[in-house]
Amino acid sequence: MKRGISLLAMVPLKSVLVISRDIILMGVIDKMLHQTCHLLFFRDFKLALDFIYNTPPDFLILDLADNDTSDIRILNDLKSDPMFGQIPVIALFSEDFDIPSWEHLLADDYLRRAGVESELGKRVELGFFRAERIVEFNPLTRLPGNITITKQIQNRIDRGDIFAVGHADIDFFKPFNDKYGFSRGDEVLKMVGRLILNVVKEQQPQGSFVGHVGGDDFILIMEVDAVEEASRRITAYFDKLIVTFYDTVDRERGQIASLDREGKERIFPIMTLSIGISHNKYRNFAHYSEISQIAGEMKHCSKSVSGSCFRMDRRRK
Amino acid sequence: MDPKLLRAQIERIDTLPTMPGILKKLLAVIENPKISLTEIGNFISNDPVLTTRVLKMVNSPIYGFPGRISSVQQALILLGLNVVRGLLLGVSVFEVMQKSMQGLWEHSLGCAVTSRILAKKKNIPEPEEISVSALLHDIGKVVLILRFKEDYERVVKEAEAKDILIMDAEKEVFGITHAESGAWVAKKWNFPLSLVEVIEYHHKPSLSKTVPIQSAIVHLSDILTRSVGFGFAGDNYVPQVSPAAWELLNLSDADLRETIDEMDHTLHEAGDFLIGDGSA
Repeated sequence: MKRGISLLAMVPLKSVLVISRDIILMGVIDKMLHQTCHLLFFRDFKLALDFIYNTPPDFLILDLADNDTSDIRILNDLKSDPMFGQIPVIALFSEDFDIPSWEHLLADDYLRRAGVESELGKRVELGFFRAERIVEFNPLTRLPGNITITKQIQNRIDRGDIFAVGHADIDFFKPFNDKYGFSRGDEVLKMVGRLILNVVKEQQPQGSFVGHVGGDDFILIMEVDAVEEASRRITAYFDKLIVTFYDTVDRERGQIASLDREGKERIFPIMTLSIGISHNKYRNFAHYSEISQIAGEMKHCSKSVSGSCFRMDRRRK
Repeated sequence: MDPKLLRAQIERIDTLPTMPGILKKLLAVIENPKISLTEIGNFISNDPVLTTRVLKMVNSPIYGFPGRISSVQQALILLGLNVVRGLLLGVSVFEVMQKSMQGLWEHSLGCAVTSRILAKKKNIPEPEEISVSALLHDIGKVVLILRFKEDYERVVKEAEAKDILIMDAEKEVFGITHAESGAWVAKKWNFPLSLVEVIEYHHKPSLSKTVPIQSAIVHLSDILTRSVGFGFAGDNYVPQVSPAAWELLNLSDADLRETIDEMDHTLHEAGDFLIGDGSA
């Protein structure tokens, strides 16, 4: 018996959160899935949000039978956040529901009400399986990685877009990581990913992109006019937030003692963030590597300044 | 009451409700598609419950920053606009003791304003951190009222009948005061230690080990806010200032006079925030 095996192996049941106002439907779902999943029922999506944010479920079943547009809006907000976007969602529709463009309804799968009894179990299984195959996200920050970054830049070049690429990295990250351990270092990387993403998305909600190259390197893509203000805000926030990751003593001293690359003890300042920005307003790029190379050059320039900073390429040729 | 049981019950609280007037305004804020994180932050910073909500979220292990973030603006930039909107959508309102809650809200906001003034006087580098802890210093009262409404009504009656401070009546009924219950939830929600300590020691600031100055400032702000008659913390008279805290802060008469003048000015605006009907 399948269930017996999973219990023996101590694999916890996957959690499936169900949002529906239909008591009969909830009963049906409970009957179908309660043996294989840990089921949680909510009547109201709004009230379920707090729970979802604090304990993200492995799967979401959302009953849209009464055609509530505010539920669709909440779903779209949830799915556009990388922290929760990977939760598979099945939307349930009534037989006569007129499905809008999928662009405006960010579900992963759907079922009509009549199909629930026969199909839901298998659909949920498939949803779990599919979710595990998508691995292009950085597991730590949940931001897209190199393959997506390259594709995003190349697509813009091919379309002839004018755009800016920022390359951000953290200075003195390694000594911090060595002194406090990698789990505190991971917290810093998560913070930086979150910070860059939220500032970029607030500054330019449409058409912007943030990726995590790996380690302490991040990429942001924005319109040329928006990128400097975003970089200014990112660096300013970084300087305020970063001190909270140090122990009080080190914070007050403004420096830490750690090992350099040769293994000798040295004094290092509090971490800073440098962003080098390149763009194709004044010159053409044929390939991703050209853009990333120039962003890299700019980053080195900005390293000569103390504190977090950014620098934009203003050369005409 | 058995303190272990009491603590377990209090720690089971997941969310706190806010005032109906605030909720009205809040909906207007959330529904404005052009609102910025800074504007939302300014709004949230006026309400103890909304502030605990964002701090609880950003300090939760799922976000990966437990015990680090004590500033509302910083919390918002890490959570992002969509998450903040969603988080605020689920806010509910108090259905009990609205009248006394209104007074407590005003008191908390007044205390936040006063702490900020004092923090600037004492040249504390991050005044926002102090004003957040002042805003939350009485969160333990909200928690007790929410969980044990009838018992808390007894506290109020007892304080009245025996002519003692609410804090002492709490001790008689619960065996603990709101300072403990507030610190318990703050710890449970992974708030930074600096916040937990101010909440725990705002009546006994000399016990604070990591943030003695901050605790003393919030302690004094609590008393100053009561003495100028802004809001209502539950007591009919003003408790004494801790001599140790007074000594630590070392304020001159002129400092104090200036502080009270500035309070007078700023509290008017703060008052408007709470009484306004949200149409603004």
